[in-house]
Amino acid sequence: MITENKIRKVVTVLLCIGMLSLSIWLLLSPKKDFSENENRYLAKFPALSAKSVLDGTYTESLSDWLADHFPKRDFFVGLKSQTEILGGRKEINHIYVAKDDYLIEQYAQPQNTQRIADTLSRFYKKVSQAQVNINLMLVPTAVTIHKDLLPKNAPVSNQLETARSIYAATGIPEIDCTSHLFTGISEGQLYYRTDHHWTTLGAYYGYLAFCETKNLEPVSLDSLQKQTVTEDFAGTLYSKVNDYHHKKDSITVYTNPEDHLTVTYTDTKEVTNSLYNFDYLTEKDKYSLFLNNIHSLVEIENQTSSSEDVLMLIKDSYANSIVPFLAHHYRKIYVFDTRYYKDGPSSFLSEHKEINDILLLYNMNTLDTDSGIRGIY
Amino acid sequence: MVFSGIPFLFFFLPLCLILYYAVPFSLKNGILLIFSLIFYAWGEPLYILLMLFSTLLDYTNGRLMERFGTTKCRKTFFLCCSICINLLILAFFKYADFVVSLVNSILGTQIALPGIHLPVGISFYTFQTMSYIIDLYRGEVKAEHSYAAYLTYVSMFPQLVAGPIVRFADIQEQLHSRKITFDGMQAGLMRFMLGLFKKVLIANQAGALWEEIRMLGATNTSVATAWLGALCFTLQLYFDFSAYSDMAIGMGHMLGFTYHENFRYPLAAVSVTDFWRRWHISLSTWFRDYVYIPLGGNRCKIPRHLFNIAVVWFLTGLWHGASWNFILWGIYYGILLILEKYIWGNALAKLPKLLQHTYAFLIVVFGFVIFAITDGNALSSYICLLFSFTSNSLADTRFLWYLGNYGLVLLIACILACPVYPWLCQKISAFSRPKRCILSTVSGIGMILLFVLSTAYMVSDTYNPFLYFRF
Repeated sequence: MITENKIRKVVTVLLCIGMLSLSIWLLLSPKKDFSENENRYLAKFPALSAKSVLDGTYTESLSDWLADHFPKRDFFVGLKSQTEILGGRKEINHIYVAKDDYLIEQYAQPQNTQRIADTLSRFYKKVSQAQVNINLMLVPTAVTIHKDLLPKNAPVSNQLETARSIYAATGIPEIDCTSHLFTGISEGQLYYRTDHHWTTLGAYYGYLAFCETKNLEPVSLDSLQKQTVTEDFAGTLYSKVNDYHHKKDSITVYTNPEDHLTVTYTDTKEVTNSLYNFDYLTEKDKYSLFLNNIHSLVEIENQTSSSEDVLMLIKDSYANSIVPFLAHHYRKIYVFDTRYYKDGPSSFLSEHKEINDILLLYNMNTLDTDSGIRGIY
Repeated sequence: MVFSGIPFLFFFLPLCLILYYAVPFSLKNGILLIFSLIFYAWGEPLYILLMLFSTLLDYTNGRLMERFGTTKCRKTFFLCCSICINLLILAFFKYADFVVSLVNSILGTQIALPGIHLPVGISFYTFQTMSYIIDLYRGEVKAEHSYAAYLTYVSMFPQLVAGPIVRFADIQEQLHSRKITFDGMQAGLMRFMLGLFKKVLIANQAGALWEEIRMLGATNTSVATAWLGALCFTLQLYFDFSAYSDMAIGMGHMLGFTYHENFRYPLAAVSVTDFWRRWHISLSTWFRDYVYIPLGGNRCKIPRHLFNIAVVWFLTGLWHGASWNFILWGIYYGILLILEKYIWGNALAKLPKLLQHTYAFLIVVFGFVIFAITDGNALSSYICLLFSFTSNSLADTRFLWYLGNYGLVLLIACILACPVYPWLCQKISAFSRPKRCILSTVSGIGMILLFVLSTAYMVSDTYNPFLYFRF
């Protein structure tokens, strides 16, 4: 006869078995070093030392290790996110779960506007002696361009206001791509749904704004070779939200058949003829295929360019997908990532008199949160 | 080690229970003791020596009192010895920084702060050992002859770091003989799980929102948001603290011990007096029996009674942490209790029940704001926000945003903070047997699902605070 007591016993036994099997599984299962889904290295087994045991850090690291190597970690991490979303959460780890399957990174109240403006002003003062054209392009992120997709009542700080105050404080001639991006919304996807970058199409609208300011004739998209290289891109925002059922992105790249390029990565001494490294398609962070991920200094020569101009591009990773469009208009482009280029681009400038254009390109989110801009000056 | 973490739940507890059940009774206390020491050493590898010293002191004093305490005078000597040393240890490790900064601010001196890190659970175990020696003095318990048994009592991991404060008198017999049954283990496990769900799925979520709101800064906080934050902290503290007690009581059951209840739905109280009969019962009864009643309690003239209340509530506040806001919090309750006793208690009892609940709830929520914010300036500016003494709006979209994101969790928390569970149990007990069987199957499945979900939260959650490090 079934009684309540028997049912309770069964539940108790099931719970105990479940708990024990997870413990044993955790101990016996093979361990991974890297979590593809979370895009981070998992905790290493802590080394035993008298100091770490006595100050308590050993047991802390051991707890982290256990959590990181828990069996079916991806399932559990995903379960938590899905439960939260189901329970009404529209923001996880500072990422909005927005409409149309968009994940959109929050723009928090900027903390460093004054310091950024000071750095840029100092750089501007230095280069204005050198008779070069300089422009600053601050790219708004999806939180501004896709404001209408944000969940109801989501608190947002105004990126455009911050951008305006930086333009005004530094006096560097601006390239405002905001209106171009707004007109581009109807033409296709401008930002990745799962990543914090703009898409190649988004970058193209940034390029149109650039051409308009610089009085250049933009290359039309139709004359470029279009290639969708993956439909399985799960970007950085995907890894922060950890809802593993979220729709993934595709990446499209454009190549100009007229351009014959030599791309030199000065830090690793690699030389190629392509702005893309498709090896990254097999990895998690597929956006890295643009300009072969992060390099302190990349030199791009276009042998077939009709122009004699040389551009110095000082930028963050947003620019990696705009470079393929810009390359057509310059004989040579020096691309600096100021997070890694330690010597300061201004001294480089005084040694390379052939440079006649400078473009500073940063997105509004990492501008404030990443200390990279300090490397400019 | 926190109960709601993977090391404890998946390794420490199962291993401890398996060994505990496997060995004969004579070895069970030994297993319990070893695991309790490992448990404490996991988080406090050095201060474990302090705990060993503290217990040895009271054990020895107990033996001495038994052997030589032939006259009242001698007994009092041993009692004073024990209490003074215990309080000195507590004062040194918990209040040294506070006292030095106090001296500095009064005398204008520049004495460097000692910067002593507070040993986890010291307030809990010091009160436990003191209860033993006082009860022994009063003749309410017999002196414990086995140091191992005494150490087991003090260090027992279920209640070591966050209560309840178990009195030796309640547990002495169980230390030497107790029944360990499958039914007890099963009931204990269910109680433990309940606590785990409360901590991981509710307290931590409410706490995350509270953290976000307190960090907002005054300009972005509307009056409604400030109250929402206060509600969140109240729910966090209640669910966290009572969850720890649930888990302790549950594990006690699994090990064959019976502890008293520590929380009885305090947020559903009808008055402040009622709240303190329901909140952290083991602490308030400790102060009642060892401070308030010895001082004369309420059986004395009014001024003396007021003094007694003032002392007890000053100490209660101070016990919660070495900071002004905790003392303020204690005094706040002292004053309210006096007012209820002498001014409006009778009138309050005649009000509609709903008003009584609202009255008590608002006082409690506001009280926890004082409890939550240790910095004086931050506290006063938060209180200004609550009572709209600033030009901030009453409500804004950010408030609605938080409500949308956390509304469901907070709603569930509010429902569970009311005594719906005992009410449901009572209703169900009147059902027919087949119906009851279906219901327990459903609740069993629910239990397993909640366990899976809690595991998910523990595996991926970075926010799993231990709130009692100040106690």
